Amino acid sequence: MDRHQGGETIGITIKTLPEEELFTSGHTACGGCGAPIVVRAAMKILGPNTVTYFPACCLLVFGGTYPHNAFKVPYLHVLFENSAICAAGIKQALNKQGKEDVNVVAFAGDGGTGDIGFQALSGAAERNEDILYICYDNEAYMNTGIQRSGSTPFGAWTTTTPAGTKIGGKELFKKDIPKIMMAHNVPYVATASVGHPADMLRKIEKAKNMKGFRYLQIFAPCPTGWRMDTAKTVEVAKKAVNSGMWTLFEMVDGVITLSVKPKMEPVDDYLKMQGRFRHLTDEQIKIIQGWAYKKNEMDLKFVEAFSEDKKE
Amino acid sequence: MFEVRFHGRGGQGAVMAAQALASAAFQEGNYAVAFPYFGAERRGAPVMAFTRVDKDKIFSKTLIYEPDYIVVLDDKLTGLVDVADGLKDDGMAIINSNAKPEDIELGKSVKCATVDATTVALETLGQPITNSAILGAFAKATGLVSIDSIVAGIMDIFGSRIGEKLAAKNANAAKVAYERTSVGTCKGTMTYEKGGKWLPDYKELPLGLATRPMKTPEGLVGPGSFVDNKTGSWKTFAPVHDPDKCIMCRMCWFYCPDGAIKEVGEGDAKTLEFHLEYCKGCGICANECPKDAIKMER
Repeated sequence: MDRHQGGETIGITIKTLPEEELFTSGHTACGGCGAPIVVRAAMKILGPNTVTYFPACCLLVFGGTYPHNAFKVPYLHVLFENSAICAAGIKQALNKQGKEDVNVVAFAGDGGTGDIGFQALSGAAERNEDILYICYDNEAYMNTGIQRSGSTPFGAWTTTTPAGTKIGGKELFKKDIPKIMMAHNVPYVATASVGHPADMLRKIEKAKNMKGFRYLQIFAPCPTGWRMDTAKTVEVAKKAVNSGMWTLFEMVDGVITLSVKPKMEPVDDYLKMQGRFRHLTDEQIKIIQGWAYKKNEMDLKFVEAFSEDKKE
Repeated sequence: MFEVRFHGRGGQGAVMAAQALASAAFQEGNYAVAFPYFGAERRGAPVMAFTRVDKDKIFSKTLIYEPDYIVVLDDKLTGLVDVADGLKDDGMAIINSNAKPEDIELGKSVKCATVDATTVALETLGQPITNSAILGAFAKATGLVSIDSIVAGIMDIFGSRIGEKLAAKNANAAKVAYERTSVGTCKGTMTYEKGGKWLPDYKELPLGLATRPMKTPEGLVGPGSFVDNKTGSWKTFAPVHDPDKCIMCRMCWFYCPDGAIKEVGEGDAKTLEFHLEYCKGCGICANECPKDAIKMER
């Protein structure tokens, strides 16, 4: 059964993106931050008829410290663990008031999505609440000073997974939150990256025009936490996709398509750009490379198993 | 007893500088404490750190409101924050600036030392992180701690955080800055207005704090009010745009995290305007420009 309606796009591109800023300049993100790139673009597409919701995350702090605020649309914050549920409540209240055309969007970091906020997210997804949930994935708890999250990749240095003589960064692998969301059988799940803007804009627009629970996870590098040059934010996001460390796909009603076929370049280039991987031994790099190949193989199998032809 | 207040920006290492100074003073047989003060700031926002040094045990735990010395890691802060607030009349300001002490404006005429720590840091470390270099200037200007103790303090604090090798580079930065410090007296012609904060009456506060966009005597509040917050002073490098090479692909406009690049004009006369008052100098625009039409310059 098709759970979604709509999803038609007019094909917004960088050239046709509106000039008006709904997420204004003057916010206090670190220079070169990936998250404001996502939010600026998303707000341009979503338009002024939007209510935004945030759990505790970097975006909450740099997007507004009361009474100042970078958003020109309603901006709400309640708690870390309940972003999806609060957004769903806002949507239902708006529906009761007859304002059914308002977009309700929750922005959250990877910690507020996959770790702390997960039960609320899972509940809202299972009930197919009519909200758009955008997770900007910077692979650690950056707001509180770079602590590891479920989304932190293997080998990465954080303040809670230090790199020393006994342990070399995080010893566990990145949690695949998009796949968990796919298992909730929601109308729309997609991954995007700031390194592939056309793809990202198309997915945000598609998600905006759908009904039901829509989940987007966007790869947004953090130069401060990843210990890298601020100018390389976009470049490193591109390399993540090219090396297979991050896969771009979308799932509409159970049909999965790959958006960009990974070139499966060696992961070395991607890792070398970042100070958080500086300590890696050759053995660890091999493990990461193996993980990337395995992930890619699994993704391709997923795409094949859930392709349009297999749909009944 | 002497008290030092450090003014820096998030990421410049004011906290580590305060700790290294405390360590240096401790190694000369003093008691010393160092502690930071910050709120929800990001990298680049103004922060403070403090060092208190005494021959006897220190029982005072408060922030430092009347410092003997102020250390400013970024001279652009002097235009934004009243860094000399509460500075004692016989006190001294140590400032990272390429200007002479006589050209520095602090709103108070006091003894002043300057060093171009940014250049020193770029030469010795390759990064504009000025916390170690400014300590060299502190040793030279005040004479309260020797440069050898400063080096030892840097090796102690930086060594345990970033490793011996980088600590040695930082110690070298302090030594280079020690040689380049000039001392004089700064100007005190300007008066700083105490920037007020919007403090509404409880009757004025909206339900659930749902503030509408409003103009108050203390500036804008409510949605979109961050436009008042000029983040342009955070940068070390600024983009320089060459309109002849530009093909108006809008990549930089799209990628600018700060929305500092605006499109102006119609049709063929369209061009890009760089609003440097918001630009944090990250360099993404220069890195992503397909035609190399943007260069980052100091």
